Amino acid sequence: MAYSLIVNGQRFDVDLPGEVPLLWVLRDELGLSGTKYGCGVSACGACTVHMDGEAVRSCQVALEDVAGEVTTIEGVGTPDALDVLQKAWVAHQVAQCGYCQSGQIMQAAALLAGNNAPSDAEIDEAMNGNLCRCGTYGRIRAAIKTAAAEMRGE
Amino acid sequence: MTYFAPDTLDDALAHLDTTGMSIVAGGTDFFPAMGVAPQAILDVSRIKGLRGITLDNAGWRMGAATTWTDVINADLPAAFDGLKQAAREVGSQQIQNTGTIAGNLVNASPAADGVPPLLTLDAQVEVASARGVRVMPLSEFITGVRQTALRAGEIVTAILIPPLPDHVRAAFSKLGSRKYLVISTAMVAAVIGYDAQGRIDHARMAVGACSPVAQRLSALEADLIGTAPENILVNATHLTPLAPINDVRGSSEYRLDAVAELIRRTITGAST
Repeated sequence: MAYSLIVNGQRFDVDLPGEVPLLWVLRDELGLSGTKYGCGVSACGACTVHMDGEAVRSCQVALEDVAGEVTTIEGVGTPDALDVLQKAWVAHQVAQCGYCQSGQIMQAAALLAGNNAPSDAEIDEAMNGNLCRCGTYGRIRAAIKTAAAEMRGE
Repeated sequence: MTYFAPDTLDDALAHLDTTGMSIVAGGTDFFPAMGVAPQAILDVSRIKGLRGITLDNAGWRMGAATTWTDVINADLPAAFDGLKQAAREVGSQQIQNTGTIAGNLVNASPAADGVPPLLTLDAQVEVASARGVRVMPLSEFITGVRQTALRAGEIVTAILIPPLPDHVRAAFSKLGSRKYLVISTAMVAAVIGYDAQGRIDHARMAVGACSPVAQRLSALEADLIGTAPENILVNATHLTPLAPINDVRGSSEYRLDAVAELIRRTITGAST
């Protein structure tokens, strides 16, 4: 089946069965390997992307069910032009192994889009679905606060 | 495998009548448990009119494909606070963004977070098929562990909640081994109202994860009427509808002890 989808502002036509998870469309078909396969059963958050700005798990979204524009970590910023979150991630040296971090940043971006001054409790509530086996949670929280402050112009 | 995502209910029902299909909304329970791929998927999340919350003289209507995030963001009276608290406990925010209220019921897990608060709201389930529409109480819709009264060819179309007294408030408590992302060990939902003297004059109590299907505690509800919240006593008779199992999340004795305490906390939570 042919599907047309918009990823990071660019239109792609793919010819795949409708039940293929968006994660594999992104990684294997479009070559956007920044989105990670963690658990495949919606338990870990490593595969987080945005559909029309809302954070979803791409391992659980069938290609047929993609509604709206998809944004992946590649669409957030580039090494030459880092997004405010990515800059904060670097400043705080958040990543250890780094595998979960693209999902973490996508979830954090969804949080900050609706709240540019989140409390610790609001950060924990928004981020609780993104697991990190290195235990970088403290730095993630600090980086989100730094990014939020920069978004507020502080 | 065919993947069918119709725009209209008629279209969905017509296909459902002719082929063996798995019905999927948010997919947050379906895909992780899928194993071998089914023959066909009927995705109901695009059907017009199936998502959203509306109010008319008959009460509230929550479309089957209403997501938990929709519930959290909806402008609803205090009687729905327990349902909103439960909505925040359904997996993570990403799960709440796609998981639906009807999916939680159809999945029929004993630990489904949505069921106890909906029982305390006297929710009814509306189902449709090519033969017509029928409505049944939620307590009759879920019939066992992973079992419902849904027949072949039927789709859940809405959750219906009758009008509630203006003065009632609600709360939900979930006990798990950690704060977030956890399957319930026990949970309690309450919808409580007080008279001018501060005595309970409306009580709906339900407990989940302590029986194959979440249960209302009607004996407790009857005893609560006329009681001040500081005088609440929970006894073994009140808990007879429950039959908790021993599992990795807790023993049956622990669950019953915990439920008695959760009941007191939840009523207090609904009182402030």
